Formats: sequence, structure tokens, C-alpha cells
Amino acid sequence: MRVEYINPFVESAYNVLKEVLDCPVTRGELYLKSASTPVLGVAVLVGLAGDVEGRVLFDMNRATAVAIASTMNGEELQKLDELGKATITELANMITAQAVTKLYELGFRFDLTPPAIFTGDNMEVSTSQVEALIVPMEVPQGKLEINVAIRERA
Amino acid sequence: MNGADTMSRNGTTGEKTGTDFKMVTFSLGGKDYGIDIMKVKEIVKYSDYTYVPNAAPFVRGVYNLRGEIISVIDLRIMFNLPAPQSSGEIQEGLILRLAGGDMGVIVDAIHGVVSVSSENFQPPHPLFGDVNIKHVSGVAENSGRLYILLDVEKIFSTEEVSRKPEPQVPTVDVARTKERAPAAEDGPETAFIEETLRTFRSFFVGPGNREWYRSRFLEWKAQRGEKDLQITSPAEADLFLASFYSTDSGRFWSRELADAFSGLLEKPAGKTVTVWNPGCGKGFETYSIAAALVEKFPDRGIKIWAHDIDLLAVSTAPNLVFPQADAPEYLRSHLVQGKNGYSFKSAIKDRIFFEYHNVLHDSVLPELDVVVARDLVSFLKDADRKKLIEEFHERLRPMGLLLLGTHERIDDPVRWKRVENKGVAAYKKIQPGVEGENEE
Repeated sequence: MRVEYINPFVESAYNVLKEVLDCPVTRGELYLKSASTPVLGVAVLVGLAGDVEGRVLFDMNRATAVAIASTMNGEELQKLDELGKATITELANMITAQAVTKLYELGFRFDLTPPAIFTGDNMEVSTSQVEALIVPMEVPQGKLEINVAIRERA
Repeated sequence: MNGADTMSRNGTTGEKTGTDFKMVTFSLGGKDYGIDIMKVKEIVKYSDYTYVPNAAPFVRGVYNLRGEIISVIDLRIMFNLPAPQSSGEIQEGLILRLAGGDMGVIVDAIHGVVSVSSENFQPPHPLFGDVNIKHVSGVAENSGRLYILLDVEKIFSTEEVSRKPEPQVPTVDVARTKERAPAAEDGPETAFIEETLRTFRSFFVGPGNREWYRSRFLEWKAQRGEKDLQITSPAEADLFLASFYSTDSGRFWSRELADAFSGLLEKPAGKTVTVWNPGCGKGFETYSIAAALVEKFPDRGIKIWAHDIDLLAVSTAPNLVFPQADAPEYLRSHLVQGKNGYSFKSAIKDRIFFEYHNVLHDSVLPELDVVVARDLVSFLKDADRKKLIEEFHERLRPMGLLLLGTHERIDDPVRWKRVENKGVAAYKKIQPGVEGENEE
């Protein structure tokens, strides 16, 4: 993945999480993954198109998702209901959109697809022939991983 | 007297004089043993230790404990107990803190920490079979189980060791102090250096760089003498490898190197020259390649994919800024001056994709004209190196050019043709069976 793409995603994830959750955010060490990735339980997928092709995957466990949705809505959610799912989806959308805006300013044209949320146990995601950049983030509600796989359009 | 009594009297264990001694307990050959907790630095799971050639059988190898090299002893073999020789598996063990330094031991299984009263220690019975009586400081009882308390200082004391039939100083100095026949080129000494280069700098001696390694080893031996031969720190490994790195590594290429490289290039088949530069680091090499190509083929498009796994290095590459003096004369026409120094014009920059990428992972690249991978494959495991060279072959067009490090080579005349220009060697891809058509 081009190094120019990395920072916009890291920065916007940090900024958006800090803003909407109003709490300290810690970023873990970035790394690369090539094989299929297990998904923790709740995953939001945003597709990217334009100069590139790829996707961004936001991955967290159910408890973290409920806690984040609760904070964002200002009410205690008991489980990941429709409201909770919509909230997590929106969070992913905000982060990706802000990253794409930053990239636009740098001269890269990306389009977004509408986010989709997946929930379930023992899920895996594989993207053949593209390695993924993993950005681990930690907030008081728990851990989430931002998994970015982008390749240049050949 | 026993653990249950202590519990009922004190309410908790380890609080009062009832239990003044803590030991880490483990099993060896089905029996229970203990070691004074004050001698135990930590409990570990050994996953990957390095075999030391020609060491005593109970020395399983050396282990890298967060940068510190310690020896690993298999207590079971030392005590003549049955030891499953399953290599590659994770094994439980302890790191001991001894007067003579830290040392690792392997056991069957760690049980935990047990508190006992030192008053209740029984002296070892002279009929103890498995373990030499000198190594046992007592027997302790806890919850109905008997633990044989090992005196680790005694077991691993150097004088004890020196009286053993197989002299063995259990430190990293093993290979240094050991008597052996004057080493042939591939003797145990060089094997040990190979191991340490791998441990410290992930440098793998193999068919591609053995020629350099041999001459460097002899040079090293002449410089350091027999006594001081071994590499004992990452800094020494760097010293050893200093002469391995290719000409103009980590900086812009000199005019001579750029010209020599340029002279090896053939007229590209397509409209665009495609180049892969894995292991690009901060990008000095990549920019040098770009400038050389722009000069050689002004009427062609140029695309360079530059990859590195070092995120910090490759992140600075797209906006590399440097003082003008760092750039050799031939690059100056491609530079623009900025606030903090010089950088490359976008005519050069826009031709390069710097990517954060692990070369062992999949990637998508078009058919390539040139691969520049200097000093990269030597830092990969044997299997990975083969796989990557195979990938170079696959991705290059027929007669495409592969430039390896100054001291790296491929001996595969059926698939790679060695070419040379002004002292710089490179390899051209031969498609077995069709090379005749591609020769000019």
C-alpha cells in the first residue's frame, strides 16, 4: 500500500474516535497482514474505488461495539440492536470519509461505497493478492482494528 | 507440618513463619522437583532456540531473551531422564538467575509456586536414583506431594562442570573455549558465526553470498585471532557485515554506479519501463534508479514500485529532503530547492510508488523490465529467499534485468544469464527453451 495513504487513515481514525467518544485514544503499532484475518464479531466494511481499489474494515468485538454505540448515543444500550448497528456503521463511515477527504487534498481521488455491517461468530475475511495494513486502536470501550487493503488499479 | 495445617492456622499461606520458603515446582520424568524462587528469574516457553554445534548433549542451544543471549540446558538429559526429542515444539522452562549469569533450563512441565517451611526440609536420602545426590539440597513436602529441591548453583557451577567428562561452560562462550581441531572453512566456528549473524541481524549465509562470507570470515579471523573470533553483540554483527553492503548502500548512487547500471539496460519492449525496487529503505536508491532511467530513456514512461517493510524509512521516502551536497552532480538537474533542503522534481517523484509492503506477501505488479533488490535476499530465510528469487523470475519479462547486491549471486545459468558492465554484475532472465529468440 502506498505510504501516502497510511497517514490519512491513521489520523482520521484517531481524530474521529477522540471527537465522538470524547476520551483518550491510543494507537498501537501498525503492521501488515497478508493471510485471511479473523473478524472479532462486529465488522463494518467500506469499499473504495476510483484511482485505487480496495476496502476498509473496522473490526471489534460485540462488547466494544455496544459500549461505543452507548457512548455515542448517550444512553446505555443492552445489546447491539438496530440503533447500535447504525451507530457503528456511521462511525466507520465518518472515519473513512474523513480519510478520503484528506487523500483528496493530497491529490488522490477515492470514492466510497455505502458501508455494510456484519455480525456473527467465527468470521474471517480474505482479500486475495492484497496485503492489509492493520491500525490497532484502543479506547476505554475496548479495542478496534482498522484493516485497510488498497491496491493501485493496474 | 503439612500444607493443610499451615493453611488452617494462618488462614493464608506465606504470611507467617510457617512458610518461609517459596519454590517454583515442575516435573521431570514424572517426578516433582522444586527450585528456590529467588534463583528463578522468570518462567518461559521456549519456542525457538538456536542449536549450538558440537556442544554437550544436554545443552540444547542458545536462546535470545530480549536481546540477551543465554544458554539453554535440558535438565532431563542432564539427569539422564527420558526427554522427548521433539524439536520445534514450544517447551516449558525457567530462566535461572545464577551467580555465573542467567541460564535457561527446559523441564517437562511447570506446576507453580509452592510455599513451604524450611524447617520441614528433609535431607536427601543417599539412595536417590535419578539425580546425583550432590545436586539435591533437600526434600520438601506440600499437600501430600514430595518435591526434590535442586541446588541449581551447585549444578551449574563452573568447577562442577569442569570436572565432568565433557567440559562444558554453559554460557555463550561455549564455542570459544571449547577445544577443537583447527577449523576448516566450514568448521564449527563459522557455523557459530552464521548462527549469530542470523540471530542478531537476520542475515542468512547461503549459496547466494557464501563466497563473500568465506573471504570475510578469513579476514575476520586474521584480524581478531582465534580467541576473539565469535560475534557476541549486534554491534559486532554489524562490524562483520560492514563490508557486505553494496556500493552506495543507503545513499544516492555515484555517477559510476548509475552509469554502469544504465549500460546494462536494454531498450524496453513497451512504452513504459517498469521497475520493482523491493527493500528501498528511505528511497535514495529508488531516486537514483529513476534519474538513470529518465536519462537513458527520455521518450519512455517510467514506473517504479518501491517497497519496504520498515514503515518509518519508507514513509519519509516520498518527500525525501536532503542537503544539496548529498546528491551527486548528475542528479542536480532533477532537484528543486525547498524550505528545508532539496528534493526531487515531481517529474521524478510522480514515477515512483513508495509502498509499505512485505515482499513475502502477495502483491500486484505488471510485467517488469527491471528488478533492483540489493542486499535483500540475504536477509531472508532459505525458503523465503528461493521463493522471492522465483518471484523475480516470474515477474520479469524475458531478458529482464535483475540487480542483486554487490556480494550476492545466483548460480542458475539455465534461468539467469550473468551480465557485467564496468564491474557491476546483474542477471538477465532466460526463459528456458526460448532464450535463442530473445538474444540479440
